Amino acid sequence: MAWLTGLPLAVDLVLGATLLWLAWRALSSPDLFQAVALFIAFGVILGLVWARLDAIDIALAEIPLGAGVTGALLLAALSQLQPAEVDARAAPSATEANEHQAGQPGQTAETADADEAQHKPAVFRALLAAVMGLLLFAALFSLGLVTWQLWEPSSGLTQQVNTHLPESGVEHPVTAVLLNFRGYDTLLEIAVLLLALIGVWSLATASNLGDTTPEPVLAALSRLLAPLMILVAAYLVWVGAHAPGGAFQAGSVLGAAGVLLRLSGWRLPAGAAGWPLRLVLALGVAVFAFIGLAVIGLGEPLLGYPTAWAKHAILVIELAATLSIGAILASLFIGGRP
Amino acid sequence: MLPSGAVWTAALVFTPLLAALACFLAPRAANWIGLLAAGLTTLAAATMVPTLMTDGPLRIAVGGWGAPLGIDLYADGLSAVLLLMTAVVGLGVSAFAPAYFGAHPQQRPWFWPLWLILWAALNGLYLSADLFNLYVMLELLGLSAAALTALSGGGPALNAAMRYLLVSLLGSAAYLLGVALLYHAHATVDIALLGARIEPGMLANAALAVMFAGLMLKTALFPFHFWLPPAHAGAPAPVSALLSALVIKGSFYLLLRLWLDLFGDLSRLLPELIGVLGAIAVLWGALQALQQQRLKLMIAYSTVAQVGYLFLAFPLAGGLNGTTAWRAVVYLALAHGLAKAAMFLSAGALLRFAHHDRIADLDRAVHRLPLTLTAFVLAGVSIMGLPPSGGFVGKWLLLEAAFQQDRWGLAVVVLLGGVLAAAYVFKVVGYAFTPTAIAQEGGSVPLSMQWSALLLALGAILLGFAAPLLLPLLEVGAPFEPIVGMPS
Repeated sequence: MAWLTGLPLAVDLVLGATLLWLAWRALSSPDLFQAVALFIAFGVILGLVWARLDAIDIALAEIPLGAGVTGALLLAALSQLQPAEVDARAAPSATEANEHQAGQPGQTAETADADEAQHKPAVFRALLAAVMGLLLFAALFSLGLVTWQLWEPSSGLTQQVNTHLPESGVEHPVTAVLLNFRGYDTLLEIAVLLLALIGVWSLATASNLGDTTPEPVLAALSRLLAPLMILVAAYLVWVGAHAPGGAFQAGSVLGAAGVLLRLSGWRLPAGAAGWPLRLVLALGVAVFAFIGLAVIGLGEPLLGYPTAWAKHAILVIELAATLSIGAILASLFIGGRP
Repeated sequence: MLPSGAVWTAALVFTPLLAALACFLAPRAANWIGLLAAGLTTLAAATMVPTLMTDGPLRIAVGGWGAPLGIDLYADGLSAVLLLMTAVVGLGVSAFAPAYFGAHPQQRPWFWPLWLILWAALNGLYLSADLFNLYVMLELLGLSAAALTALSGGGPALNAAMRYLLVSLLGSAAYLLGVALLYHAHATVDIALLGARIEPGMLANAALAVMFAGLMLKTALFPFHFWLPPAHAGAPAPVSALLSALVIKGSFYLLLRLWLDLFGDLSRLLPELIGVLGAIAVLWGALQALQQQRLKLMIAYSTVAQVGYLFLAFPLAGGLNGTTAWRAVVYLALAHGLAKAAMFLSAGALLRFAHHDRIADLDRAVHRLPLTLTAFVLAGVSIMGLPPSGGFVGKWLLLEAAFQQDRWGLAVVVLLGGVLAAAYVFKVVGYAFTPTAIAQEGGSVPLSMQWSALLLALGAILLGFAAPLLLPLLEVGAPFEPIVGMPS
């Protein structure tokens, strides 16, 4: 069985090489659809790399979020981009004329810049590009050199986290850090997600993504998968207290269920698309902030849950956050306000 | 029992954050919720002042864990003056917004939640003592700012917003890389602990380089300013005011903190380089501003120039009486915040009046909008650095530091920048007195828009008289002195 000892190393080498190759192909592919497909594959392999590095939590976040949700978002963006690209190619002169007519402030600077760039001789531009390229290369090279010297692992705050784990209300150190020790960051991260959705909603109304009647296979599959995914999400929240899992992972599975249902033709009832939807979207931040502030009334510091009921507080926060994250991700995929 | 300072500190972040949620849930009541939140947040910022003056700097362990395990909040004089400036500008812009968005009703329900989250992020940024928490704040700040830039819609604004978003993300990513390097080496992301543990070497230099590059990109220091003019000029007027007056100060504050607490002793060369870039920005930005045909673009290029001033302190800080230079640029940042907000708000009022912002066609605007033009001129006085404005105090302190160290070059840049600023401000004023060949019909401008601009401009002037109050506040916790020993 001596050959088995070399196996992990071989797996790592293959994973590393595949990762680099996929990254290069995704970046160099001229076809956007192919690039997105490669990017999704890249996310899956990256998840496996995290798993090999014993970072199961990151792997669990990377695969559904980095590959799944991001891939779905990129594909959704691509599907909206392509008609616009075709239009632009068909009538370039018309759009240009429109742009020149639109007398918006800010317009002048851009056109002036573009004109200036055209007047500069090609030699000058090539020289500038060469200098910038050299500078960038030097910067990346020295960064690589510094990173190379970091190969010795650092234990970071692991010791401290383990010492205080019993006071946190959960047994899994990652959940303890995310929901208790550094809960303030997590609260604001959920706000970042909500903010991204508000930003998207401020730009456009939802397009008719996937409006056609679904194929029977997709419809049957989603009827089968969606309840299962909701179950998995619930399990991931629950298990987060003592093993890898938690709100972000569960939320991304929930969001994926939402995407699947949407693609198979399911629509939110008109009555639920108004404030009920908004309430679900805002619930995560609201509940987290409410509990974090309410404990001040009990004489605790901001976001300092008393150890006795920290476990329950964290579970309530995680449930609310899961619902919100799932709803936000699915809404981001749909891409505009209802 | 908790000190009440901790409660007010929490209120500074959570009032605007929860109000943003409320605006999102009840868009029809957004104006009232927003104004109420603006008032409460300003109150919370004002309450910080007596607390800090009597009790000294405030350190709060969120969740009671304490650094390095948990996140610490820290407020000293430097945080307090920037929180106050943010509150005053925020209140002014909030008072301007209802009337402005009355004419753009489809933008209003989105302006409020985005702006309130931006306010929460700025307050959180000024209060944080934790490098990773600061990254989260930078993300909130950059995303909300980019979304606000896109609010006016249309090709150029969307283009500018997209470029702004990409620049902002690149800057944040570079900053995060530095945080990762420092955490790996020193097992903490608390600024005070890192300050005690950091040692000169390749790793510290690399962290310094990536974090400064990222933050200078976000602060739009020459030559990283390319994204600023289209973004700041293309946004709706109240958003332009927020971007120029406040958002840029956030990343500048972080640069300043990092330099003061972590990196100040690492490099002799870098501060000189930053100073040169700042000097070029002062002159080049002002020259560009002078050539603009449109008012909002002119004001945006003026921001490029004024950002340059903030970086002139770096080469002066190491020398004789170097802390004066820091005090000077912080004062300049405050004055620029008030004055530039007033300028963009008056540009918004002019735009509402004439439906264009071509400088050459202002057509006796001064007769028809005297309040707005007064606001513009008073703000201009502070931007130029004429007494008795806040800008004057800042430039005076900066010149004092430059003269004491015989840095005549920097002194000349400071003065020349002021002369150029005078040229572009008076160019606008000149056209505002001149009738054009074809007389223009103007629309009516709500008084709340005019008065909020005027009050902010008056604030920039009064800042000159407030020096005896603000400079002692700035000294609370001695932010400009090197850290000695560990924080308790």
